[in-house]
Amino acid sequence: MKILMLGWEFPPAKTGGLGTHCYELVKNLSKKGVKVILLIPKRTGNIKHNIPNVEIIEVGSVALNPYNTTRPDDKFEKGYGWNFFEEVRAFNKRCVEIAKTKKFDVVHCHDWMTIDAGIEIKKITGKPLVFTVHSTEYDRTANIYPMNFIVDVEKKGIQKADLIITVSKGMKKQLIEMYNAEEEKIIVIYNGIDPSKYFGLIKKGSKGIILFLGRLTNQKGPYFFLHTAKKVLEKRKDVMFIVAGQGEQLPELIRIAIGLGIMDNVVFTGFLPEEELLQAYAMADVYVMPSVAEPFGITALEAIASGTPVIVSKNAGVAEKILHCFKVDFWDTHEMANKIICLLKYPILGECMRKNSYREIRNFGWDRVAEQTISVYRRTI
Amino acid sequence: MTSLCFYFQVHQPMRLNRFSVFTENSPYFDEERNKGYLKKVARKCYLPTNKLLLDLINEYNGKFKIAFSLTGVFVEQCKKFAPEVIESFQELAKTGNVEFLNETYYHSLAVLFSIKEFKEQIKLHRKMILELFNQKPKIFRNTEAMYSNDIAKLIEKLGYRGIITEGHESILGWRSPNYLYYPNGCKKILALLRNYKLSDDIGFRFSARWWEEYPLTADKYSIWLSKCEGQCINIFIDYETFGEHQWEDTGIFNFLRYLPAETSKYPNLDFKTPSEIVKMYKPVGIVDVPHTISWADVQRDLSAWLENEMQKLAFEQMTKLEEHVKKNPELLHIWRLLQTSDHFYYMCTKWFADGDVHKYFNPYNSPYDAFINFMNILQDLKRKVESK
Repeated sequence: MKILMLGWEFPPAKTGGLGTHCYELVKNLSKKGVKVILLIPKRTGNIKHNIPNVEIIEVGSVALNPYNTTRPDDKFEKGYGWNFFEEVRAFNKRCVEIAKTKKFDVVHCHDWMTIDAGIEIKKITGKPLVFTVHSTEYDRTANIYPMNFIVDVEKKGIQKADLIITVSKGMKKQLIEMYNAEEEKIIVIYNGIDPSKYFGLIKKGSKGIILFLGRLTNQKGPYFFLHTAKKVLEKRKDVMFIVAGQGEQLPELIRIAIGLGIMDNVVFTGFLPEEELLQAYAMADVYVMPSVAEPFGITALEAIASGTPVIVSKNAGVAEKILHCFKVDFWDTHEMANKIICLLKYPILGECMRKNSYREIRNFGWDRVAEQTISVYRRTI
Repeated sequence: MTSLCFYFQVHQPMRLNRFSVFTENSPYFDEERNKGYLKKVARKCYLPTNKLLLDLINEYNGKFKIAFSLTGVFVEQCKKFAPEVIESFQELAKTGNVEFLNETYYHSLAVLFSIKEFKEQIKLHRKMILELFNQKPKIFRNTEAMYSNDIAKLIEKLGYRGIITEGHESILGWRSPNYLYYPNGCKKILALLRNYKLSDDIGFRFSARWWEEYPLTADKYSIWLSKCEGQCINIFIDYETFGEHQWEDTGIFNFLRYLPAETSKYPNLDFKTPSEIVKMYKPVGIVDVPHTISWADVQRDLSAWLENEMQKLAFEQMTKLEEHVKKNPELLHIWRLLQTSDHFYYMCTKWFADGDVHKYFNPYNSPYDAFINFMNILQDLKRKVESK
């Protein structure tokens, strides 16, 4: 079986779950003997890999990402660079050209940035199209001014794809309700985790560190994290709140933290390289993911793999699968603060939770994701 | 002759209010939720089943007999939210065919931490049974049928003639639960052992379509009973089985309605209450139970309430208040309500993954939520105790 896969990011250049997903999927497909040609936009031009059966082609001169934070300050285009759509179009066009020269059985696209090419390739070659939706425009914008143009691209992809993969049941429901997707066409495959990369259940003393990690956008709910911090600090002062990640809202979040009078207990780290990221996960007493919209939320699994108890937003995809964690409404800062204080106050609570949740993720690897994805390919051929 | 001994356990815990570390001056118990549950179960189970049992007792001229154990926590809620339920139990008591057993008033785990507290709760419950039904109980059943040699000895000393527990292989070996036994070290008190297979046929499997015996009918069940050897067949189940665990449309009420008629076809079967049984039959041997058992889950141990670290911490912190709360009757009652086993059951992580049995009326999303809510309330109580 040979797959032509159209992705958007690949480590080390990645900003979210999509990059992790593509890398792990390709690696584990290869282990199962599936050949993959992966097309991704050119960023560094020097992706090195030693995955057998996999050919990675860095396409064109695209050097932007969909969550670009260093864009010109244009309110209408919100979050995307001036030339971003031009670049997406150019990437898709080139992908179609490359596809004409390759042999494959299935074309597999990830998110809206690649789907136009997928639709065209299907039309030209007659090969089946699989479309994985990691997040929708509604998710990424937390439903604040979603761009109709992008929603339309997503709709078209959902309509034209032979089968659709979503990373949670919640996402499946959204596609049916907001995109008129046919239910039978959608298969849920939860993201996975490779626990061996993380620190695991090593014993650690409490340091009073509460971690937020994600893009600083409405979608991820950093605003609610700061308000939770304020409430916790009303009860005890020996707690540090770490906001890790970068994004458009950084200046505003700093203003909010100053306004709340909690800057002494909040640290904004900016982007964390891999090594420091692993440290942060393991050091934290609690990982909080107060996402407004979260199709899956791999970071929660990463925290669990680092032996850290997690509090996640009820509507996150990961909450459908992981039992041994706290689940809250993202806006309920009172409840999040209550849970954080109790986790700090009763260390055995966190002990029970981290041990049990670690057991839950042990059989939640990427080989399962690859296997389920292969069965989706088989259904289309 | 083999006697059929039916005993039904009736209990509803007082579920707790949502209580965070920020909560102040808020009641501990969720009045609305408790009222809602109680009224619902009264409508679906307590009232119709009591009516049916009363009809059956009248119809069979006193040959149909049963026993109940009502927790104090249940009775208190009935008095408040559904007094007609108490009246219907009193109607049953008046027939003379219904025996009421003694247990801890608070459906508590008191025996595991304080003999003094345990005895006080038994006494409170005894007083309640006397007041409500004019009966002096002779048979004791501990919360969740928790039992050991030591518990049996203690209960014997209090003057009881019988004690109820689980008839599990781990204590019986090859022997049958359908006989009376002496608890090891006892001379006066006898152990009545639950026939868990025949009990669970009604309690758990009645409406299970995967079960090869589905559907269970009164005539089929009576054939099984008639073929059993022994002195007594002890069918001990939760009363909520009727109409609540097994909904009306499963046919559970019809099963009960026709059971006395079907069993009466076999002259070797009759109905007896637990105290009649311990009077009538002689024990055939001794059961030795050095470690505490219960009737819960597959393990039949205490792991449903006191296995993980959260349960142990919550229990330990609760017990520590004993000396301090005894000076204040109001706080004492609240503290005792926190001893109800259900609060610890909700913190159980053992079956969380496959859940179903533990899910019944569980007000929490997870054992972790159950733990922090309980601890927040306990902290608040502790603060009140200390400030007095």
